[in-house]
Amino acid sequence: MEDQPGFPEFVQQQAGKLLEQTLQHIGLTFISLLIAVVIGVPLGILITRRKKLAGSILGIAGVLQTIPSIALLGFMIPLLGIGAKPAIVALFLYALLPIIRNTYTGILQVDPTVIDAATGMGMSQRQLLLKVQLPLAMPVILAGIRTATVINVGVATLAAYIAAGGLGEFIFGGIALNNTNMILAGAIPAALLAILFDAGVARLQKLRMRSVKTALYILPFLLLILSSFYLIPAAYGSSLVAGFTPEFMGRKDGNLGLKQVYGLNMRTVVISDMIMYKAAYEKTLDVISGSSTDGRVKAFDLQVLEDDKHIFPPYYAAPIVRQATLDKYPELAPALNKLSGIINDSVMTELNYRVDHLKQDPALVAGDFLKAKGLLQPARKGAKGTVVIGAKIFGDGYILANMYKLLVNGYTDLEAVTKTGLGGTKICFDALTNGQIDLYPEYTGTGLLVILQADKSVIDTLIADKQKVYDYVSEAFMQQYQIRWLPPIGFNNTYALMMRKQQATELHITSISDLKEYLQHH
Amino acid sequence: MIKLERVNKSFQNGKPAVSDVSFEVNTGETLVLLGTSGSGKTTTLRMINRLIAPDSGKIYVNGEAVTTQETTALRRNIGYVLQDNGLFPHYTVAENIGIVPGLLKWDKKRIEERTRALMEKLHLPAAEYYDAYPQQLSGGQQQRVGLARALAADPPVLLMDEPFGALDPVTRASVRKEFRSLDEISNKTVIMVTHDVQEAFQLGDRICLMDKGTIQQTGTPAELLFSPANEFVINFFQEQRLLLELNAVRLSAICTLLPTDHVVEKASPILPEDASCWDALEQMTTLAVPVYYSFDDKLIRIDSAALMQAFTQYKQTISSNGRSTRLS
Repeated sequence: MEDQPGFPEFVQQQAGKLLEQTLQHIGLTFISLLIAVVIGVPLGILITRRKKLAGSILGIAGVLQTIPSIALLGFMIPLLGIGAKPAIVALFLYALLPIIRNTYTGILQVDPTVIDAATGMGMSQRQLLLKVQLPLAMPVILAGIRTATVINVGVATLAAYIAAGGLGEFIFGGIALNNTNMILAGAIPAALLAILFDAGVARLQKLRMRSVKTALYILPFLLLILSSFYLIPAAYGSSLVAGFTPEFMGRKDGNLGLKQVYGLNMRTVVISDMIMYKAAYEKTLDVISGSSTDGRVKAFDLQVLEDDKHIFPPYYAAPIVRQATLDKYPELAPALNKLSGIINDSVMTELNYRVDHLKQDPALVAGDFLKAKGLLQPARKGAKGTVVIGAKIFGDGYILANMYKLLVNGYTDLEAVTKTGLGGTKICFDALTNGQIDLYPEYTGTGLLVILQADKSVIDTLIADKQKVYDYVSEAFMQQYQIRWLPPIGFNNTYALMMRKQQATELHITSISDLKEYLQHH
Repeated sequence: MIKLERVNKSFQNGKPAVSDVSFEVNTGETLVLLGTSGSGKTTTLRMINRLIAPDSGKIYVNGEAVTTQETTALRRNIGYVLQDNGLFPHYTVAENIGIVPGLLKWDKKRIEERTRALMEKLHLPAAEYYDAYPQQLSGGQQQRVGLARALAADPPVLLMDEPFGALDPVTRASVRKEFRSLDEISNKTVIMVTHDVQEAFQLGDRICLMDKGTIQQTGTPAELLFSPANEFVINFFQEQRLLLELNAVRLSAICTLLPTDHVVEKASPILPEDASCWDALEQMTTLAVPVYYSFDDKLIRIDSAALMQAFTQYKQTISSNGRSTRLS
């Protein structure tokens, strides 16, 4: 892999993006804060007058506060879809409790003698509120707004999961890509914003009474201006909207490649892959960075665009096995190879669809498939030895591991055990080299880029040719790790851009080049 | 003018707070509601500006029933002084004083003139305190601002709820004195609540002694002392009786009993016309010189022995005259 540039260089390179994200972040924080103030303060005032409501309103706001932020965002998606709306609503709900509570306690703690004097002098309810209660409660109310601001700056980073932008894009992209500079580029400004706004509101609190009156008039305008920051970045962009995962955004074989090789520039939002497909289906997004064999491609009727300039490396799946195990049990390889060349992209998509979308048991899906292909044999219940089959936590792995288990049990006297859910590539591969597992299905692209971390020059010569990649990783794995790549299963689970089938047909887009053409003219 | 007719008020638990209270206070008169805590005096006061609504009975301010007036308008016409002053901490002294005129939509210049005039009268130099905040002032000064605030719009009626109660004895005495000499209150109807007997005697033209929500007796200080209506009234003043009596009996009431063989042409100090026996004694003992009192165009020299003799004689006369005689 390439060397990571230093942090200052990274910030310099990404200055435009950083500014955009920061503005979005400020905007998100303050739009929600503004709404929370507009609703929270009157609610707080209301419950000082209707004490019976106080318990329930503070209770509800308190319960909202206890919902984990990521879960709250999750609840918002079915109601409001993705993007700014659910993020703002979620942030608003978080900001509500401190504002209501502090307005309530702030007003209640105003000296009763002062209230008595004000009433006795003939102030109306309204005059009492505006001239006495609110000004005297202001320091406490501001403390609530201050708490809410800091909470919002923090929670707003999660907005990146649902395509609302903000500094979370860098943070989550950085985590996905293990890029420290990128994490810092998001985390440091976010922390600075929190400190800055905290100090700002604290200053406001300390102002003398007379200035507080002025501040009261300025505050709404300030909030409005800061809120409008969110709209600035959205003002430019293309007719189609793309939603990419944080990881895809920062990868060379992802968005960077799209820009360099295809010259594809489109309005892009960052979104979690868990909700990306649905968002495309619901027309919130037009283009997404999916995984070509994901079950949701079928579930949501999406079309994979052809990668006609081959920027996405081949990710052909094949079982990788410890050479020691193969030597010990020579009958293992033929059994595993029964699957070779059997499953193509659409078959894998179908299988994933049944597991992910129809929620069928992976073991059952695996069994059904083998039966249909005439490969299922009853288990021999042999006791010659045990083979441990691993699988990564996501997607294809579960199904393939179950198929291999059935094949090993049916065609050999070995007993197969599955150990699925082994986190990411690194955990799985370490388990294999340590001998905790004997085999697991891996992708050629992952082998080349993540495990071998081949030089850029090597990658460039190989990447467009799936056979060359397979040959290279087979050889290197055997040399370095004594691990054998068996023949590929057939499908290529690579990154892919995809669109709704209907829209792709209407716009006559079948490849990424077509998409670029279309964007240039629209 | 304030008039209460058979006013009743019960607490939320049904216990009576004020029962069957009636009295009348004329313009220029100060009525003190005197009693221990829980006697219903503050409740009575707060019913007049409708901070508390009576269960039954009628209350008139300036001849009009309070219930027929708009609450805010009624209150803006009634000066209100509280024990803990209730000044707005976020307003300057001037802003505090200008609240009611502001509510009445006076123009700015008039408010400022009035504020400055009042501050001078109450010994709060405007140059120093106009833009100060209440917390920068001493307790006595704060209470004066509270008084100025109540007087700002020159209301015909002034209600005072233990106005000097939160002050230390020295400050209390001086603020009280200032209050008594304030020309602003001479044409007002004043009702003041206190539990301080001396204060009541010093400031009240008449005193309304309350206990457990009912009026025990309403009358001048001398009436309460020399013709008490019941045992409660007698016992209430027992402890400080002599002091109170000396305070209640004015020289004007006993001057006929004073020896007239000490008439002089010119002398000092001369006691004021409404001086009490106590004032005379105080002067004599502190200055250690005889004092003089003007009576029937003559200046009489008074010494302590003569004074005490006249006082004793006077007391005997009124006791034998019967209790209902109007005195002083």
